[in-house]
Amino acid sequence: MTDPLIVRLKSLIVDALKLEGVTPEEIPDDEPLIGAGLNLDSIDALELVVRLEKEFGIKISNSEESRTALASLKSLAAFVRERADPTRLPT
Amino acid sequence: MAVPFANTSARLAATGCLTPFGDSHATFTALLAGRVALAPAPFLGSDGGDRVPLALCPGRSLDESAPPNWAAFLRPFAATIPGEGWGSPRRPVFVTSSNFGVGSLYAFKRTNDAQHLRYGTPSKCVDWLRGELGWGPHVTTFSHACVSAHLGLLQATRVLNAGLADEALVFSFDFLSPFVAGGFHALKILNADFPAPYQDRPTGSIGLGDGAAFAILTRDRGDFAFLGQSLHNEMHHFTANQADGSGFAACLAPLVSLAADRRTWVKGHGTGTLEAGRLEAQTLATHFPDSPLVSWKGSLGHTLGSCGAVELAIAIEALRAGRTPGTVGSHAPGFTDHIAFEPFANASYDTVLCTSNAFGGAHAALLLAHA
Repeated sequence: MTDPLIVRLKSLIVDALKLEGVTPEEIPDDEPLIGAGLNLDSIDALELVVRLEKEFGIKISNSEESRTALASLKSLAAFVRERADPTRLPT
Repeated sequence: MAVPFANTSARLAATGCLTPFGDSHATFTALLAGRVALAPAPFLGSDGGDRVPLALCPGRSLDESAPPNWAAFLRPFAATIPGEGWGSPRRPVFVTSSNFGVGSLYAFKRTNDAQHLRYGTPSKCVDWLRGELGWGPHVTTFSHACVSAHLGLLQATRVLNAGLADEALVFSFDFLSPFVAGGFHALKILNADFPAPYQDRPTGSIGLGDGAAFAILTRDRGDFAFLGQSLHNEMHHFTANQADGSGFAACLAPLVSLAADRRTWVKGHGTGTLEAGRLEAQTLATHFPDSPLVSWKGSLGHTLGSCGAVELAIAIEALRAGRTPGTVGSHAPGFTDHIAFEPFANASYDTVLCTSNAFGGAHAALLLAHA
């Protein structure tokens, strides 16, 4: 069954980073985000973190935490699920 | 692309700095005692926000006024600059800053008060300062993020060595604002943790500080000398360096041979970030293996565009006193074995390598010695 949070994160990534020629559906669930896969740089990570904090009300404390959370789509989903108010998660 | 090495020597007739501790001697004394100027403060000033390590001049608010509140600190500091006729054809001024009056632009955005606009852009800010400080028209502005001061020093050196001036004043300043603090906070490197430059720990962080400094350069007068200067921009990425440290190494290359057979200690950049700090320390250990490395940003915070000149003035105080302050705010383990966490005697050293690094992969270094 498709995880609604991962579906939402894919859409958010494409929108926040203005990824051209990529649709959310094309991004694999276990896609790496930093260092491989989408290979986001620090500016991309910054944009994404701002959107994530706004959408889910979570707080990323430092750049190392950001790097850990953004290692992959799965790690990001786990991070958000752990930190966010459950009422702000998609169902 | 590296700046050619030739013709980058000059004499230093005078230096001075202003930090939250006071003038260069007061700052040096505080660093020697291991004092920390940084304190937790909301990064958006009166608008609040997370508390992060900031070092503001005592009594100064992060929120901007019109005219800028930092002018009240800059005017008396500028009055300590020796000599007259600055800004005349043979005594030009080189102003360097990373942010100039950007706090005024932010204040205008918040308040819609057009008075702030008079100070907001680099050219307007410097124009206004020129009038405030009584300088003539020969004032040139340089800005290249956190190597701005080095850029000004090098250009002043070239003007002198080309015979176009008798003496040159390099004046550098950066005062914090919610705009600047907010920008670094957004990068997550300005966070709740205090900076610990070159310390090998799980998380990195920086602090930011107010800073201003001056240096008077001449061809042939002064107790101290630049033996050489170097600039390099690795043009790799806005916020990251090449992972092999080659950008750092390229900047050091022209000075390594100059420092051969000389005992050197290193005043590094060392903001407290992990990746860049590790690369910097490892590259310095490779090319200057017997040189103790210090950074003072764990106390003063990063004074941004003025850091090269502020820390130069402190290095001069250290040379005069025969003692170098350690890396305040940090303790073992370091990224390498040559980090000096504690103060040390420097009389047996011949030279000081002063380095700064900046966003965009810019690197700067100069080799300083008694004349």
